[in-house]
Amino acid sequence: MRALAARFAPLLLAAALAAVALVPAGFGGFPAGRLLGLAAGHAGLALAGVVPAALLGLALGVLVTREAGRPLRPAADAFAAGAQAVPPVVAVALAVPAMGFGWGPTILALLLYGIMPVLRATVAALEAVPPEARQAAIALGYTPAGALRAVELPLAWPLVLDGLRVALVLGVATAAVGALAGAATLGTPIVLGLQNQNQLLVLQGAAATAALAFAAEGLLLALAPARR
Amino acid sequence: MIRFEQVSVRFGAVVALETVSLAVEAGVLCTLVGPSGSGKSTLMRLVNRLVEPAGGRVLVRGRDVAGENPALLRRSIGYVMQSTGLFPHRSVAENIATVPLLLGWDRPRIAARVTALLALVRLDPELAERRPAELSGGQAQRVGLARALAADPDILLMDEPFGAVDPLTRRELRAELRRIHADTGKTILLVTHDPEEALELATQVVVLRDGQVVAEGAPAALVAPDAAPFARELLGGGQPGLRRLSLLPASAAWEDAPAPPDAPRLPPGATLADALSCMAETGCNVLGLEEQDGSLRLEAVLAQGR
Repeated sequence: MRALAARFAPLLLAAALAAVALVPAGFGGFPAGRLLGLAAGHAGLALAGVVPAALLGLALGVLVTREAGRPLRPAADAFAAGAQAVPPVVAVALAVPAMGFGWGPTILALLLYGIMPVLRATVAALEAVPPEARQAAIALGYTPAGALRAVELPLAWPLVLDGLRVALVLGVATAAVGALAGAATLGTPIVLGLQNQNQLLVLQGAAATAALAFAAEGLLLALAPARR
Repeated sequence: MIRFEQVSVRFGAVVALETVSLAVEAGVLCTLVGPSGSGKSTLMRLVNRLVEPAGGRVLVRGRDVAGENPALLRRSIGYVMQSTGLFPHRSVAENIATVPLLLGWDRPRIAARVTALLALVRLDPELAERRPAELSGGQAQRVGLARALAADPDILLMDEPFGAVDPLTRRELRAELRRIHADTGKTILLVTHDPEEALELATQVVVLRDGQVVAEGAPAALVAPDAAPFARELLGGGQPGLRRLSLLPASAAWEDAPAPPDAPRLPPGATLADALSCMAETGCNVLGLEEQDGSLRLEAVLAQGR
């Protein structure tokens, strides 16, 4: 029962926050229809940044835990930490002159921001695979690639999924900064509200962003429950 | 079946094996015994290319393993490890089916083989769907043995297979292994640091020390008075004479003269050590054997110890 509650808590929270965001629409706030449209754009933008970040983080994590890739580990760690150290707002601001307004700068910022959680989780998960299971796989006649696919990744998967969830939630929450570079996101009402001193718009944008982040977390949790 | 020719192995600057030559014939249960760091595991791991020689050749079934595909070679050789190495995310049946699956057997054939193996290692078929974490140490080790035997390899490598289980289970597993060896006639290479285990299981014992073979032969010969001193010391357990008698069957000193009617009788399969123990307990210096004529005299028993 408690496990079930933990599994669906983020979705309930998302629903509550969505109500907070939508109700003011009837009282002179940001129109509900436009808010939903922005939410769709926001989700798309977040995925456009998080999916490549996840793939890159996974690939790097697998690479640096292979025998041949081990020397690359410090460089990969430093890259991921450095990429995360740059605040997304700064990344967006710096990318605008090069990439122009629109989705580009935000995708780049989300990509940089999302690599580290996935890379860290992948490396930790692969290193937590019992060494004797891997040794046995090789001794029984798996090729190194076969051992990775059939033994290491299945055993590492629950921990990797934790990292993917963190990256997705971070990405969805952070995508709001895209509004600064002219991308239509749930950050748009926040920026509008700040410019016009309308706190209702700020509240709506913030609540809607949080609702979407919790919904993403809830969806992943529902698809693949957290480890016991 | 397996030949090592002048094999040397180095790990960095450390010499693990130095020009070792050894032959293990088909059907032999060969135990490799020695102190830690003597190179016994390394010697065994050369056979399926988990270790590569720095010099010399390793021949398996008459062919140099250096020319074989490592993964294919390993699928043709059973492997059992001390920590069992069972895959925690797979059921007992799936673990056992590992190599047949790699070899591309069809489903019905694999299912039949898994059932047969559970019976061979005397595991309850009910365990087939369990995960390794739900097994006792002895059960897990039996699954490990079944997995190694799954594709019916003619060679079996065992790396301290009974080191991590309690003494009672260990004795049981040893008996199972002897039975399976007798039933299947496989060539078995078994690494152990337990001298008693090495002697009890083997038809051939190889004693290693500092990367070299210091003695090799039948178990009883390696604790005889003329055996290499290191082997005698390592394997003899402080009482090499008694150890030797425990390795020889009572029939070795059997005589046709009938035993006195009131003489104690030994069960079939008794060793000379059993006979000596019986004599010490009863004070009789002549014994008979159940269901057989003839007798065993104290002098004849002692003569075998020399």
